[in-house]
Amino acid sequence: MNAITNKGWKASLSIALIASLLAACSGNNNNDASSSSAAPAASTSASPVASDSAEPASAYKDKYDPPVEITTVWGVDPALKFKNGESIENNVQTRWALDTLGIKIKSLWSVTDTNNAFVTKMRLSMSSGQDMPDVVTIGDEQLAQDLIDTGMFADAGELFDQYANDTWKKAMELDPGVWNPYIRDGKRIGIPVLDYAYNHDYLLWVRQDWLDKLQLKAPTTLAELETVMDAFKNNNPDGLSPDKVVPLSIGFKTTMNTWMGDPSWIFGAFGTIPGQWNVGADGNLEWGSINPAIKQGLDTLKQWRDKGYIPAEAALWDENKTAEPAVAGTAGIIPGPYWMSGWPLLDTAKNVPSAVWKPIAIPTGPEGKAGRHGTRFTSGVTLINKKMKNPEAVFTYQNYLFDHLADPAVGSDWDLGVFKGYDYDLDASGNPVYLDKIPGGEVNINRYWLVKDGARIPDAQMKALLNLADGKEPTTRLEKEVKNNYGPETPAAAKVLLAQPNISLTNMFTGPATPTMQSKLDYLKKIELQTFNEIIYGKKGLDEFDKFVADWKSGGGDAMTKEVNEWYASTK
Amino acid sequence: MYHKTTPYRIFSVFNTTFLLILALACIIPLIHVFAVSFSAKSAADANIVGLWPVNFTVEAYKKTINNPIFLGSLWIAAKRTIIGTFVILFVASLAAYALSKEKEQFKGRSVYAWVFVFTMIFNGGLVPFYIVIQKLHLMDSFWVLVLPGAVNVWLTILLMNFFRGIPKELEEAAMIDGASQFGILFRIFLPLSLPALATLGLFAMVWHWNSWFDGLIYISHKEDYPLATYLQTVIITRDFSSLSFSQAEFDLLSQKTLNSAQIFIGALPILIVYPFLQKFFVKGLVIGSVKE
Amino acid sequence: MRTLRRNWPFHLMVLPALLFLIVFNYVPMAGITMAFMDYKPWLGFSKSPWIGLDHFRALFEREDSIQVIWNTFIIAVLKIIFNLVVPFTFAILLNEVRKRFLNRSIQTLVYLPHFLSWVILGGILVNFLSTDGGFVNRMLGYIGLGPVFFLGDGNWFRFTVVVSEVWKEFGYSTIVFLAALAGINPALYEAAEVDGASRWKQTRYITIPSLMPIAVVVGTLSLGNILNAGFDQIFNLYNSLVMDKGDIIDTFVYRTAIIEGDFGFATAVGLFKSVISMILIVISYRLAYRWANYRVF
Repeated sequence: MNAITNKGWKASLSIALIASLLAACSGNNNNDASSSSAAPAASTSASPVASDSAEPASAYKDKYDPPVEITTVWGVDPALKFKNGESIENNVQTRWALDTLGIKIKSLWSVTDTNNAFVTKMRLSMSSGQDMPDVVTIGDEQLAQDLIDTGMFADAGELFDQYANDTWKKAMELDPGVWNPYIRDGKRIGIPVLDYAYNHDYLLWVRQDWLDKLQLKAPTTLAELETVMDAFKNNNPDGLSPDKVVPLSIGFKTTMNTWMGDPSWIFGAFGTIPGQWNVGADGNLEWGSINPAIKQGLDTLKQWRDKGYIPAEAALWDENKTAEPAVAGTAGIIPGPYWMSGWPLLDTAKNVPSAVWKPIAIPTGPEGKAGRHGTRFTSGVTLINKKMKNPEAVFTYQNYLFDHLADPAVGSDWDLGVFKGYDYDLDASGNPVYLDKIPGGEVNINRYWLVKDGARIPDAQMKALLNLADGKEPTTRLEKEVKNNYGPETPAAAKVLLAQPNISLTNMFTGPATPTMQSKLDYLKKIELQTFNEIIYGKKGLDEFDKFVADWKSGGGDAMTKEVNEWYASTK
Repeated sequence: MYHKTTPYRIFSVFNTTFLLILALACIIPLIHVFAVSFSAKSAADANIVGLWPVNFTVEAYKKTINNPIFLGSLWIAAKRTIIGTFVILFVASLAAYALSKEKEQFKGRSVYAWVFVFTMIFNGGLVPFYIVIQKLHLMDSFWVLVLPGAVNVWLTILLMNFFRGIPKELEEAAMIDGASQFGILFRIFLPLSLPALATLGLFAMVWHWNSWFDGLIYISHKEDYPLATYLQTVIITRDFSSLSFSQAEFDLLSQKTLNSAQIFIGALPILIVYPFLQKFFVKGLVIGSVKE
Repeated sequence: MRTLRRNWPFHLMVLPALLFLIVFNYVPMAGITMAFMDYKPWLGFSKSPWIGLDHFRALFEREDSIQVIWNTFIIAVLKIIFNLVVPFTFAILLNEVRKRFLNRSIQTLVYLPHFLSWVILGGILVNFLSTDGGFVNRMLGYIGLGPVFFLGDGNWFRFTVVVSEVWKEFGYSTIVFLAALAGINPALYEAAEVDGASRWKQTRYITIPSLMPIAVVVGTLSLGNILNAGFDQIFNLYNSLVMDKGDIIDTFVYRTAIIEGDFGFATAVGLFKSVISMILIVISYRLAYRWANYRVF
């Protein structure tokens, strides 16, 4: 009886062992190939540029003749449309690059980036020994750090110093700390991809029509905010009964610091932002969530929840859920970025035609403090393979974009749009048309660029918005784009944001995950959110916070803080 | 007749009512989802849709279907489901039949059985699997959707147990008549196992039709995606780290209506096929074949 | 050799399945060695450093690992039990619905929730179970019971998780039992009728025993999921108020390893789960054989 199951066991194990030997053999060959010099994609002419120029004449050209080849891989945005039978490998942009710059873009592989497919595919591709591309732009923080750790990518910082043009360099200098996450042994591995400033900074969106009906002014302090919330709930201008109103729509299902509907600014009113590293009183970095000011924020949240100002089930609400009452017309205030004017708030009018949303500044606390979490100026990093034969070509490409795309002057080549028939077209009288009016549909060609979204100068969009906010007609292309593509209140929102630049607190730690972070951060975050929610829900008293801080420190928090500050010191 | 007695009739009324309520509990959420799929995005986002669409629109379906890739993916999904189900049934029938024999008849069956079950429990993970697929040159091939899933051990064991329930006398009679084992399997066992085969077929079909991950990872051209993979790409994963959204794209950010529409597109074929399969869950296919 | 000559058809029949399994299951199984390596994709299998049992040590050294494992176990066991009992009972009850149309319709309707994704279902449940006007709590209010925080109270969370999953999947599992019911020889029932047995007696002495083998098979095989409490569902439903009762191994691995691409750790946890499953399946196989003389597979 037992003999049979025993035999079965042995058989399974033997097969497994034999199979694994087979696999290990082929696996070995595989990885040996990848670690020794694998031939990169064939490229023609232009001599490779060493980091110190061995040849006096630089290989950098504005246009390469004969064309040089750059290989890359693509994580295609699922929403990206293609016209005229094009694909990510072969489209109006690739043709443009070849014709205008003499750069041939070859794609090693591409994947539709849904459900994290790009990150998964990249890791699998590495595991199976496939070649790494010459150039790749990575948005995922962790993947970027992993790739940098492979040691396969070049000191792009040096290349940048050598080849980038002034426009680009100036844009990069707007925040010198932007290189920090990508520095290893003093070398800048990878070029940060610049993004527009203030994309994630919060302000409060409030139902102006309700304020008007109640004849209330927009609140500027937390105390005034409470008065407003109370009026919204118990004296609702649309006649909604109190239990149907959500005066302040926030949620903290997974974190207190996220892209929409979070309560982080409430803590900001007491002097700290949870869930990120801030500069403490002594000049060192501290984890915002253990700052004593948190206690007051928690107390405020608890009271607000008891009074029904915030959703009773806020701990279950994620970002999207906070939008629901806003769109339904039952929420009075929702915190979030300036672009919310277009989404989701534009939809409120479809359900409640009289709804009007206006942006107001983050309110101050009892001591006049205010705080909101800031935005990093980067959205990813561009890595350049050490084995790339013509790294200067990347700069030719990007320099051109910085000069022509980032903020085209009126009357320049790309003033109206980039590719006719794609992101703009001309009607019969030669006037430009956009969006739905383009025959065949509009295509967001910004997703076609080699470097995600092309070239962005961090303050350009804000400048454009500010110009519009003062009532000027849009003249530059950026201004027109912003006017066409974003909701009506966006310029006003930008103005509100920029009126309070000093309260914007960005996460000051941008380096790779430290050893303690790798082993402890998840647990520390878990007890943090648990404690905060227990206090807000009245399951535990405010003193639980002190206990949490002690646990946090001894459970790895102190070690982590030490490592973080070592990193911080090294970047100064 | 037991079913004519009064106690039974009373039981029957309660039973049927209870089951109907249960069925209602199952269908109501689906009606809600169905309604959402036909509602305006603004209504879905506001969560004000009940059991009836609000601001009726076919926008979600249009967005999903209006893509040239949609039809192609439909065809690929159909291909993979039909071929894949057939492969699963074929491979499983053979193996299940052999494994259903006693060890006296088939020495070593237990070894095989454990070898099979072992694979249900132990798994090397995605990385080595990916490498194997690559080495076999199955990347970007239609067959990567069919071959790796050819053996479904759970279904095989299920079928094996059903085979065991078939009276041994039938096999013995056939062997006396000189039938081969293959003959017995195909001419006797399979026809008598229609409920089991219908079950396997149904499960295999549902699995193939809804499988999306393999298409996403192993196939790089959108045109070659099966339906389920294509549907995954209709929704934008909310990556707010980069903000070059145009207003038009903001529309796609409402996942609710799109998600809901997808559920129906995903479930539809199965709903169409199921009634046909239900015919096989009919009692008494073994009657009269064996004289007690 | 003589046995092989007699047996060769059977070996041949098993061959196709075996080949597929070797290629697509056994060969990749070599990857389990990742559980003992600090696997880095660019170093691959041959160059990633060997770290022995370090991953397992890390797994158990976390302050909450015992809690997480226990949560997983409890939720999984409850699911296994009810995912067996409910479809079993339902199939038997459904069998008593004689009107074919009604029978088939009910069958189809209860099957449908299987197609809902947890992303959608999560949103529906948050509304449905809300303490703030959600349907269930309103009903409870009518009969005088206080609002229950189904998704925010640790113990209720487990209850909600199990009930919602059983609701979603019982229709699917019922099909297996219906197929088994179809295979019962009607002559048995006729004989029982003749002997004057009531329907209940018939059910007790014919139907249930006939379904037991399949139930045992389904149950034993589901032990393979003893530590799979349902990632998709928990991921969509959980929140920090219920972490201590609701965080399971898979969600924990997701946060710490999947996002970071730490394949080694993820594989180690998978291996741990597999070993436990294997032990339980072997035990239950032996028990079934010893007590019921029934070979599960």
